[in-house]
Amino acid sequence: MRSRLFMIPSLLVAGFLPSKSDAMPIGELVSKKDPGTSVLERLRLKHIFTLAGHRSHSSHRSHSSHSSHRSSSGGGYTYRRSAPVYSPPSKVYTTPSTVYTAPAGSFATQPTVSATPTYPVTSDPATAAPLKTLPGNTAKFKRIVMQVQTALTAYGYYEGLIDGQVGPACKKALVAMQTDYNLKVTGTITPDVLNTFGIVAN
Amino acid sequence: MISLRLKVDPLPIDEPLVVRLQGPGSPARSDHDAVLAEIAPDRREYDLNGFSFGVYGISSEVIDGDVLMMLPGETTAHRLIRAGSAHNTLLVTEQCDQLCVMCSQPPKKYHTDLFEQFTLAASLAPQGAMIGVSGGEPLLHKERLFSMLEDVNAQRPDIGFHILTNAQHFSRADLERLQRLDYERVLWGVPLYSSMPETHDQLVGKPGAFASLEQGLSILMRAGASLELRTVVMQQNWQDLPALADYVSTRLSFLTVWAIMQLERIGYARMNWKETFRDTSGDFEQIARAVDIATARGLKAALYNFPLCSVPPAYQDFAPSTISDWKRKYLDFCLNCRAKETCGGFFQWYSQAEGFAFLGPL
Ligand code: SF4
Repeated sequence: MRSRLFMIPSLLVAGFLPSKSDAMPIGELVSKKDPGTSVLERLRLKHIFTLAGHRSHSSHRSHSSHSSHRSSSGGGYTYRRSAPVYSPPSKVYTTPSTVYTAPAGSFATQPTVSATPTYPVTSDPATAAPLKTLPGNTAKFKRIVMQVQTALTAYGYYEGLIDGQVGPACKKALVAMQTDYNLKVTGTITPDVLNTFGIVAN
Repeated sequence: MISLRLKVDPLPIDEPLVVRLQGPGSPARSDHDAVLAEIAPDRREYDLNGFSFGVYGISSEVIDGDVLMMLPGETTAHRLIRAGSAHNTLLVTEQCDQLCVMCSQPPKKYHTDLFEQFTLAASLAPQGAMIGVSGGEPLLHKERLFSMLEDVNAQRPDIGFHILTNAQHFSRADLERLQRLDYERVLWGVPLYSSMPETHDQLVGKPGAFASLEQGLSILMRAGASLELRTVVMQQNWQDLPALADYVSTRLSFLTVWAIMQLERIGYARMNWKETFRDTSGDFEQIARAVDIATARGLKAALYNFPLCSVPPAYQDFAPSTISDWKRKYLDFCLNCRAKETCGGFFQWYSQAEGFAFLGPL
């Protein structure tokens, strides 16, 4: 490995920096103890990205045949809070959204650079949209399982713990119950099972 | 065409749910795995922690190992990760601070924050997957983006990211975090359209963009980050290409690859097609010069989204097949082409009537 002290000035001389960027104190690279990367180290390694690239932005247009929910303008994962088929959710999921002013401008006549975009420079963690944590679904699933287990116990199919887990004994009970009630036998919680027990999944 | 959405029986969820579909006989490897319970002609039934749900309409496609995101109240699931594809891309925000003349995914005002879900989805991806991150401008949510990269890396160091960004929101304070990212696993794809600041700013619809971009690139360079510089060829920057090559090879020679790209006829690019599209099948001169300059100075140049037969033979080696599998098509005359295996073809939304004049089987 060649000396960094030798190479860095030569890089600077070679014009590796954008000319107008503020001057980089040489010590910044030299004194870096971080075992991470420096441009020097990276330059010596062969690149692994040769064909990684070439993705374009239009990655999520609504093009599939199942996109009726998201008619017009393609893209994204925003969704309607319409009533689900499986069961109505107890609370409406509020899409966390940060209000953001997109740059205005007449697109067809672009370039019209008169638009004065107001945009957040970064999303500050303090002001970022509150995060919906995933365990919410887990808690809900567990609650539904407990209701099913309670019903299975009451109907005489299940003697196990009401623990919110669909374990082997619970699966067996579900199979027996589904068989008796002429439901599709899956050994899992289906909308049929919930309907039969009158459990509203919310 | 490959479906990026699949019809499902909705689960009783209040929040977005990320789930990985296991193949026949494979057990759940985590709480986020759904086990395949039944295969019917047009429906597969899965068991997710004791709950049943069906996935429809996947007769011919393999979906084993795919990661879906279900949203409350929706009967279609987003296929976030297709296990068999190298073209998975997460669209992390639809907000953008630019308004590019050729934008294929025009920005929206609101941001739906699903970084948590994307983080989970990425950590369920197949071994060694390279996942695209796109927008909008991902760096508008820089904090969330960095957290995602770091969280995934902590759990799954084998996963890589290719992030499309205008690189204008880095500051010196980000240097340390950037340095800590694995430069072999994170590739920043950054657009630069001209070496003339006014031209670049005009094309992206944002005064001062070029200047901020220079700052951002210098920070990426100092961090030792891997850079894919992306230049879309347009009528507006056609004459600038050699000068841009000069700029790129003197100022940005740390880059991994300089991608010179053809236009994608969708979004604003479609609206502005006539003034923007540059037919490079008849006159390739400026690109040839740009590629020559970059190559002579030791840079790796590449041509993205060019049908192979539109490129002069001497430059065809620079043109890998780049159009994502799910949005690629070939035309009638491609049938007899011996290059079909190596050619990326056309975007689904390409129109031959307004497209390249000189094409034909090789
Ligand atoms: S004829 Fe079709 S397959 Fe052949 S090089 Fe042209 S675009 Fe590609």
